[in-house]
Amino acid sequence: MARLSLSARLAATFVVITVTCFSAVGFLLFEAAARRIHEQDDTNLVLATRHLRRLVAELDSPTDVAAHKDRLIISVLGDTNNALRIEDDAGHVLVERNSSRVPLASTGAVPVARRIVTSDVQSWRDADDHEVRGVSAIGRPGDGSSVTIVVARSLADRAVLLSRYRRDTIAALAAGMLVAVLLSYVLVRRALRPLHAMADSAAAVTAHRLSTRMPAGDVPAELEALGGALNAMLARIEDGFTRVWQFTVDLAHDLRTPIGNLRGANEVALTRPRSVAEYQALLGSNIEECDRVSRTIESVLFLARADSPQFALQRVVIDAGEELQRIADYFEGLSSEAGVTVQVTADASVYADRELFRRAVSNLLSNALRYTPAGGTIHLRAQKTNRGVDVSVENPGAGIPPEHMEHLFDRFYRVDRSRSDSAHSTGLGLSIVKSVMELHGGDVMAHSEHQGTTRFTLLFPDSPISG
Amino acid sequence: MRLLVIEDEKKAGEYLKKGLEESGFTVDVASNGIDGLHLALEDDYDLIVLDVMLPGIDGWAVLTRLRAKKDTPVLLLTAMDELEERVKGLELGGDDYLVKPFAFVELLARIRTLLRRGPPRDIEHMHIGDLEIDAVRRRVRRGGQRIDLTPREFSLLQLLARRRGEVLSRTQIASYVWDMNFDSDTNVVEVAIRRLRVKIDDGHDIKLIHTVRGMGYLLDEEREDT
Repeated sequence: MARLSLSARLAATFVVITVTCFSAVGFLLFEAAARRIHEQDDTNLVLATRHLRRLVAELDSPTDVAAHKDRLIISVLGDTNNALRIEDDAGHVLVERNSSRVPLASTGAVPVARRIVTSDVQSWRDADDHEVRGVSAIGRPGDGSSVTIVVARSLADRAVLLSRYRRDTIAALAAGMLVAVLLSYVLVRRALRPLHAMADSAAAVTAHRLSTRMPAGDVPAELEALGGALNAMLARIEDGFTRVWQFTVDLAHDLRTPIGNLRGANEVALTRPRSVAEYQALLGSNIEECDRVSRTIESVLFLARADSPQFALQRVVIDAGEELQRIADYFEGLSSEAGVTVQVTADASVYADRELFRRAVSNLLSNALRYTPAGGTIHLRAQKTNRGVDVSVENPGAGIPPEHMEHLFDRFYRVDRSRSDSAHSTGLGLSIVKSVMELHGGDVMAHSEHQGTTRFTLLFPDSPISG
Repeated sequence: MRLLVIEDEKKAGEYLKKGLEESGFTVDVASNGIDGLHLALEDDYDLIVLDVMLPGIDGWAVLTRLRAKKDTPVLLLTAMDELEERVKGLELGGDDYLVKPFAFVELLARIRTLLRRGPPRDIEHMHIGDLEIDAVRRRVRRGGQRIDLTPREFSLLQLLARRRGEVLSRTQIASYVWDMNFDSDTNVVEVAIRRLRVKIDDGHDIKLIHTVRGMGYLLDEEREDT
């Protein structure tokens, strides 16, 4: 029972609700009808008895009552189910009409002086155990004597009527329920059809067909959110797949260059005998190409590891000024040869993985050195902000053309592919910076002005974000 | 000094044997774990270079069974650069760990360190030709002439002098002098060497700092084929 379909479950719920409501309504209607009939019967009995008492009072004596028997019977007892008996003091029957042989009781007769009301109606049972209701009252003819009037009615016919009514009600209920069950099942199935359509769409999604989307438009509002969420998920997965695919293609292309160089240079060298010095130069160049491939592989592996959730950051509190000075120091030779000054301004502590911090800042600084004209100054800064610490690398230069800005951190994206030092760069430096910042729960931002300053800012959050 | 190289890759085995023999070692090569373990247990080697990914029984198993009987130093080679791998290697009794692809000079340096051969020359005064290095007072003279070096330049020169005659790769130099332990795609080390060379070798006929193209740098009085 744990895995009933939604349609079956909803239909069953509807059935339970319908059965309960139908039964309750049917029962209440039946009870109300029965009560109204009883009330009507009682009222009839009371009215008949009152009328008889008035007629008796107009007559002279019990004998006179007996003489007017037919008139009494006809004028009062239109209903043939009613039984009537009038007795005198001595218990002699003066008038009797009892075609259905109802047992008549004259006990508890209402005295002459009191008005007859419905609460005077008494109840007893006949030989067949049917209920009998009746009223008895004292009447007074003109001579001052008293007679006892008894009017009664068997409810046998009412019982027959009510049981027939009950049977009809139950039959109607059963039919109604059946219709409700069928209708609700059909309606629920129809209402859930968009779900099946979604399931079909989801089943059609494969790695090759990630562009499939959930049907939108004629779905109910409740499913629109689900469909939207699923579509957003699909879009993210498709985007991820596209990027992985693009990355693989770029990686393959990137490895082609050094491998082409290796193969070409070796082939050319082997076409004729060469001097030892030439062979040595070739081998040296081969090693350089190998290093280039190694560096690319190392960077790709780093990015892959950074993407895996198991990556273990070893965070410590780092004096940013000291660390930036160390990095500036590392690049001192390079920068002074380029005629560039590196200036460190910092008074903040960063909570970061030391090795990764160095790696990120070094990548930015080595980029900055490439684009700073002689005589320029690169600023390394670390400053406290309300959300953490901003570490920035700022250099003067031509600036990064706006069309490149959004791709700067893409893997293998190079702003200028024709630059002579592209053999030295893997095209992964900024991607690594971005990965490092994501690992720290921070971010990296780039800002560049045409013929102005270019600034990369690393946003290190204060407290570690879980994970 | 006898070395055993357990390496299934034929080319790798060949170049390791050649390179190590040319560096003065006697080298045996085993191309699978079973032969390697057999040789390692039968013979007494001074050091074993062990590839982790081997057919038959892998490097971990070889190391475990070897350690049950012998304490021969083991240098592990692997293509896996995961932290757990390193930890596992060292826990099983490996003495050092090198990730493929590695620079041959790096391998040589590690082997020498493990064998305590060519120990760091922690001598107060070092003489290479007419170059004098006073490690205590951090002073350098060449041909009696005082040379002023920045602290980093001094560290770099000291490193080269201690490992006199050994080729040091750029990565090794960056790690030792600046504590930068990642392969950066900049030519920081080249520039530093160039600047040091200006101060040490300019104006002298005998050059002391040598570039081994593609491999790195070394400091020595002379070098036949430069």
